[in-house]
Amino acid sequence: MSENSRALKLAEDNQKLANKRKKAKEKWGIVLDTSKCIDCKACTVACKMENYVPVGFYNYRIWVAEDTHYAKYPVISRSFQPSQCQQCENPPCVHVCPTHASYKTADGVVMVDSKKCILCKYCMTACPYDARYESHTTEAIDKCTFCYQRREEGKDPACVETCPPKVRVFGDLNDPNSEVSRLLAYNEYTVLKPEKGTKPKLKYIK
Amino acid sequence: MSTNTTTMDFFAKNDKISNIWLILTLLISLFGVYGVFNVLINGHDVYGVTRTVPWGILISTYVFFVVSSTGLCLISSMGHVFGIEKYEVIGKRAVILAILTLLCGFGVIAMELGHPFRMAIYNIISPNFESAIWWMGTLYGVYLVFIIIEFYFLMKHNHKGAFYAGLGGFIAGISAHSNLGAVFGLLEARPFWHGPYLPIYFILSALISGTALIIIIFNISYGRPSNLPEKAKNALTGLSKLFGLFLGIIIFFDIWKIITSVYGAPPEKYESVMALLTGQLSFNFWFFEVMLGMLIPFFIILFTKGRNLTASLIAAISAVIGIFYMRYDLVIAGQLFPMREPAPGAHVQSALQNGMVTYSPSFSEISIVIGALGFCVFLYLLAEKYLNLSE
Ligand code: SF4
Ligand code: SF4
Ligand code: SF4
Repeated sequence: MSENSRALKLAEDNQKLANKRKKAKEKWGIVLDTSKCIDCKACTVACKMENYVPVGFYNYRIWVAEDTHYAKYPVISRSFQPSQCQQCENPPCVHVCPTHASYKTADGVVMVDSKKCILCKYCMTACPYDARYESHTTEAIDKCTFCYQRREEGKDPACVETCPPKVRVFGDLNDPNSEVSRLLAYNEYTVLKPEKGTKPKLKYIK
Repeated sequence: MSTNTTTMDFFAKNDKISNIWLILTLLISLFGVYGVFNVLINGHDVYGVTRTVPWGILISTYVFFVVSSTGLCLISSMGHVFGIEKYEVIGKRAVILAILTLLCGFGVIAMELGHPFRMAIYNIISPNFESAIWWMGTLYGVYLVFIIIEFYFLMKHNHKGAFYAGLGGFIAGISAHSNLGAVFGLLEARPFWHGPYLPIYFILSALISGTALIIIIFNISYGRPSNLPEKAKNALTGLSKLFGLFLGIIIFFDIWKIITSVYGAPPEKYESVMALLTGQLSFNFWFFEVMLGMLIPFFIILFTKGRNLTASLIAAISAVIGIFYMRYDLVIAGQLFPMREPAPGAHVQSALQNGMVTYSPSFSEISIVIGALGFCVFLYLLAEKYLNLSE
């Protein structure tokens, strides 16, 4: 199968899976401890491989940004902020999409139904995190799906699985006993751009 | 009032429109064929739009066209909808140009959308009533139907029909156009656009485009200001005064928009407005938008009191050129502040040293824009030459 048809098939399978999981009760989220990040960028590679993200420097679902607030010499520190689509609970990209191509699954994952996308790019101007790009393979907008294809088997998303220092923990925010809920209970955390009211499900431990 | 008209009333030859102009504008529109083919063959990569500036000059040109259309419809409705007799003479010409500008606008946005045909289908079978683009698209569709019927009735001298269709067009036009403002105004992510300002501002600037274009097309139909019949002269003198008034109001709007975006440096708004005042869009802003678009036409009208129609014509041409850039600046400036800091590794596309991003239209985009503008003028000249647009 060509790269293109694999990407298309994955997108279609994910739509079917979302339909099948209409009654899902979970609310998936990721808790990140960025102090552990070593900027190896394994997550960005894993995501490209897992999801047939087309080649190209600006075709990506996930990124690792360097924190630019260095201390001045001689006290120097470096830190990184890995991120992706925030899987907003109040997602502006979904509100603005004229054809419901962008939608939220029962378990709270924001996805794009590539067949319905007219490529108006309204969602790109609406997303406060620059988390979307135009994909040549699906001929639609593409973005992080929390590796939805892995939801049935209950496997972690590729970026979570691959991370050597385990920056990310993936799990069900609705389950008080899940590791993510525990981490949030025991730690102070924040989200990116809270002022935008998007209610991200990516939580950053402070 | 007679509804029985012969084809003679529908068609009439206007010799003021020379074939040379028709051929010239057709040639200009052929230039657009280059961009159209290039994008059909090579895909959207031939455009200059990026991940950070996904809306480029095609969107702003679409806005320019539909603002013109709405403005023409709103201004012309003063005559046959609101019964101000003086303005009845502008009806046919304004409405035919409203139809043509809207169609050209649709053409341009079809080139920008990745899947225009999909839009026609999924807009109907999977509508999202929360989406301003859905409302804008649908209402403009309704508006187009109304103004086509309106034009038909005007040509048939059916005043009652023209009144109802015109009223429908007026309401649909205002709703569609304020929704276009809302497409930008509803984006919380983009502080430069966000808020109720844009839907209001769009209606106001439509009125300016409308009056300016009507002044221009009447001069085209009659060759020069001195050839204008008495009735048309009266209407245009009145319109020139309104034109000046609208310009005064928009200058006032703009001043406050700038002050509220600069005062206390509100995050993101400030950076966007500084891109206009001193940054990458400053030439566009000061020369085209402020000088040609607002100050020159405003002072021309102010000093001639709108009584000198040659002066009004110059003011109108200046304003229309300026307004084209106004749309561009508005659409681009709102996207120049990136949604993520362009730090190393963040892969923020087309980021500059100063933390902003940048966009410049590609040759294909420009060719489509020029082609569409040329084609619109061509269509209008054709209509002017062969349709009976005088009373
Ligand atoms: S981060 Fe952007 S793409 Fe992801 S859900 Fe939020 S608004 Fe949508
Ligand atoms: S580009 Fe596609 S997914 Fe995004 S708003 Fe438009 S139709 Fe929806
Ligand atoms: S969850 Fe999956 S799709 Fe999302 S960034 Fe990680 S690997 Fe990519």
